[in-house]
Amino acid sequence: MEGRITPLEARAALDAVERGHRRVADEVGLPNWYWWGLALGWIAIGVIADLGNTWATSAATLVFGAVHAYVAPRVASGRHRTRMLSVKSELAGPRTAAFVILGVAGLGVLTVGGALAAAADGAHDPATIASLFVATVILLGGPRLLAALVPRELAE
Amino acid sequence: MTEARFDELIHQSTRLSIVAILAAADWVDFAFLRDQLALSESALSKQLATLEDAGYLTLERPLRDHRRRVRTKLTPAGVSAFRGHVEALQTIVGDRAEVPA
Repeated sequence: MEGRITPLEARAALDAVERGHRRVADEVGLPNWYWWGLALGWIAIGVIADLGNTWATSAATLVFGAVHAYVAPRVASGRHRTRMLSVKSELAGPRTAAFVILGVAGLGVLTVGGALAAAADGAHDPATIASLFVATVILLGGPRLLAALVPRELAE
Repeated sequence: MTEARFDELIHQSTRLSIVAILAAADWVDFAFLRDQLALSESALSKQLATLEDAGYLTLERPLRDHRRRVRTKLTPAGVSAFRGHVEALQTIVGDRAEVPA
């Protein structure tokens, strides 16, 4: 084995293996339609909340929660961002799903806090304003945060 | 731990890149490999055929988009050969202590 290639050539080959691994790791994430759906759903709930009908707000929140509960388990693993490949679960890791769940909970807190702040400031549509802000955070920050937080190491 | 085994077939640079990508995925679309490795369809097909003949990967057409899409994935033999080859490379560069025969 030792005589076949030099250590330098072996290092170059290992670098090629690492590049291949990175190419796949870069594909970990959630599909674009998930982020857009989450953002639009968030805005819809904000607008409905500002209509002042408690039943409508509760119903919209329940529907949103049910749809998200149905969709999230199918995409939250981060293994199928596109239809071009399925990333190994060891590479996507459990942190992707945890990030999505904690992220949605955090966005809920952010929305309520934002709406309360907007209302205290005398805004006419505080929930709509807060949900628009959070929807912007989802679309601009969601994919980037996910890429930054999820580990990219493949367990041997 | 995987046994170090240098694999001449996998070591060829294009095939090594293909297998490295496949090893990190459950399956990969033909177009993804083609685009990532900047290969022509015929060049990629040739390399995939070589690996398929060795029993290292399988090609399949998903039920949806049957005509247009081809997926490929490593077989257990391919996974084993790739891991053994990486172990062998690591032994050569000194990242692993070689186990005496």
